[in-house]
Amino acid sequence: MQDRITYGQITRDILNPLFKLNVAYMAGLAVVLAGLAYGGWCLYQQLTWGLGVAGYSQPVFWGLYITTFVFWIGIGHAGTLISAVLFLFRSKWRTGVYRAAEAMTIFAVMTAALFPAIHVGRMWNAYWLFPYPNQRELWQNFKSPLMWDVFAVSTYFTVSTIFFYIGLIPDFAALRDRTRGIVSKIYGSFSLGWRGTDRQWRHYMAAYGFFAAFATPLVLSVHSVVSWDFAMAQTAGWHSTLFPPYFVAGAIFSGCAMVITLMLPLSVFFKWEKYINTWHFEHLAKMCLLTGGILTYAYIVEHFIAWYSDNPYEWGVFVYRATGDYWWVFWTMVTCNCIIPLLWWVKKFRTNLWCLWIVSIFINIGMWFERFNIIASSLAHQFDPNAWTYYVPNYIEIGVLIFSFSWFMLWFLLFVKVMPSVAIAEVKEQVPPPLKHPEVAA
Amino acid sequence: MSTAVKGIFAHLDCLVDSIDALKRAGHKDLTVTAPLPRHEIEELLYGNTPSPVRWFTLFGSVFGGTAGFTLCSLSHVNWPMIIPAGKPLVSVAPFIIITFEATVLFGCIFTFLGLLWHCRLPMKPDEIPELDDPRLSDDVFAIVIRGLDGAGASSARALLSGNGAIEISGGTDA
Repeated sequence: MQDRITYGQITRDILNPLFKLNVAYMAGLAVVLAGLAYGGWCLYQQLTWGLGVAGYSQPVFWGLYITTFVFWIGIGHAGTLISAVLFLFRSKWRTGVYRAAEAMTIFAVMTAALFPAIHVGRMWNAYWLFPYPNQRELWQNFKSPLMWDVFAVSTYFTVSTIFFYIGLIPDFAALRDRTRGIVSKIYGSFSLGWRGTDRQWRHYMAAYGFFAAFATPLVLSVHSVVSWDFAMAQTAGWHSTLFPPYFVAGAIFSGCAMVITLMLPLSVFFKWEKYINTWHFEHLAKMCLLTGGILTYAYIVEHFIAWYSDNPYEWGVFVYRATGDYWWVFWTMVTCNCIIPLLWWVKKFRTNLWCLWIVSIFINIGMWFERFNIIASSLAHQFDPNAWTYYVPNYIEIGVLIFSFSWFMLWFLLFVKVMPSVAIAEVKEQVPPPLKHPEVAA
Repeated sequence: MSTAVKGIFAHLDCLVDSIDALKRAGHKDLTVTAPLPRHEIEELLYGNTPSPVRWFTLFGSVFGGTAGFTLCSLSHVNWPMIIPAGKPLVSVAPFIIITFEATVLFGCIFTFLGLLWHCRLPMKPDEIPELDDPRLSDDVFAIVIRGLDGAGASSARALLSGNGAIEISGGTDA
């Protein structure tokens, strides 16, 4: 961050790109809308004709939809990690990227939340997942990991949204003061009349600390709970105590990679190199190296334990993953998650923007394949050889996958044009305050 | 009739000196605004007193944890599933997860409510008319001193001016 930058310049730099539409943005929006149209048609087919049009086949009834659910929940991890955990550690590099990472978290969880409903077919009955008094006096089974997941994901979404909104309040006030007419009124109502008084900042900072403290254990708990959806089942390849740390590391790995994938073009297109630059991306790459290392270790450990357990079903699944029908899924996962990111151990590569961006995309691909590898191969190769099968998603499921990416990107594209993607007040905290007598302060 | 005086500052050190001088002069009804949180301002005005928002957080967390565990327990008692091998209906281990989630959820919701309550939000645009100035969310600091009589306003204006305010308004029509 340049020392001479002023508060006024920060406000202008960050707010200037808002509301301005250019060709690149409109082209991106058009691609997203096309994806939504095709994916929406596929989803409509499924809603009309039932789950039979999806590629599920006995006994694989968790397939692409649950894979994509876990993928998006994982993507949603980096936002809260960066905004909450790094806030508690007073890490300065979070400032430039945390707002967009938080937005990414919320949109990713919104996308993920579609999938359990899509997966069970009759998504208009999704409210049955929540406890409410009903005539039949039926209640959910709170001993089921699927029920824990409902609570974990909805709590994560609510807390992340509140945290995101709290961070935006002072920036909404800045937007209110820099816009006119109805737009100013809209931002004014979102800012709740914030004036930045001593009283407001005092309680705001206290509350922000509490939110960060609450959100920190959520980063660890949400994907642990998601992992229990699998680990609590007595299915070979799933029933492992390794799953919670393995899933959490994978989620942070994929989330940080997605932050690089999204923020790097944003920084270039909006000319925000002063606020988001190689320094930030290098730190994100280091986070990926750490969590990717943990993930690779987890892959090795689960294979070792499967062999060492001397359980033929368990070992059979792991051999099947690497050498059976799903070998291409397994080796895509290993290549993208364990081998390609090794490039970032070399500083030259982790400070090269093209290398950062391309590797981050490979990580995202690898992490989707990791979830598919866990889910499809275990179910396709269960205890009874007579029931073994080979499941591959069909065009309807692929369409719904495209829908999910388009849905996520639509929200993100709208976000970058109507809200400041970099936190104005927090960036101001990172520059030296304006002093009339700097020599006295020094 | 009391009046208010507002001073605008471009420099943080001038603002801090002014707050100090106004406090020493016995002015108590001060409102200071800044486009970003500054610990110097909080320390001068509040010392080390912690924000009372924490009591909302504590209440919300305790309420949420209790509600979460109660929801699970009463649901299972109300709809008893007979599980073999003598496993209890009210089972602590799985219910701890819902309890934890509810603790966090309600802790956050109540912290948010506490924040709104103590910040007096939502605030009407004209509730503090002196603060209706777009520069205050951008690059300047301000002090508003209220409840002043004529002599107090003159004294406040002099203090603000002497400590580097770039603009002073109010207090002359008292």
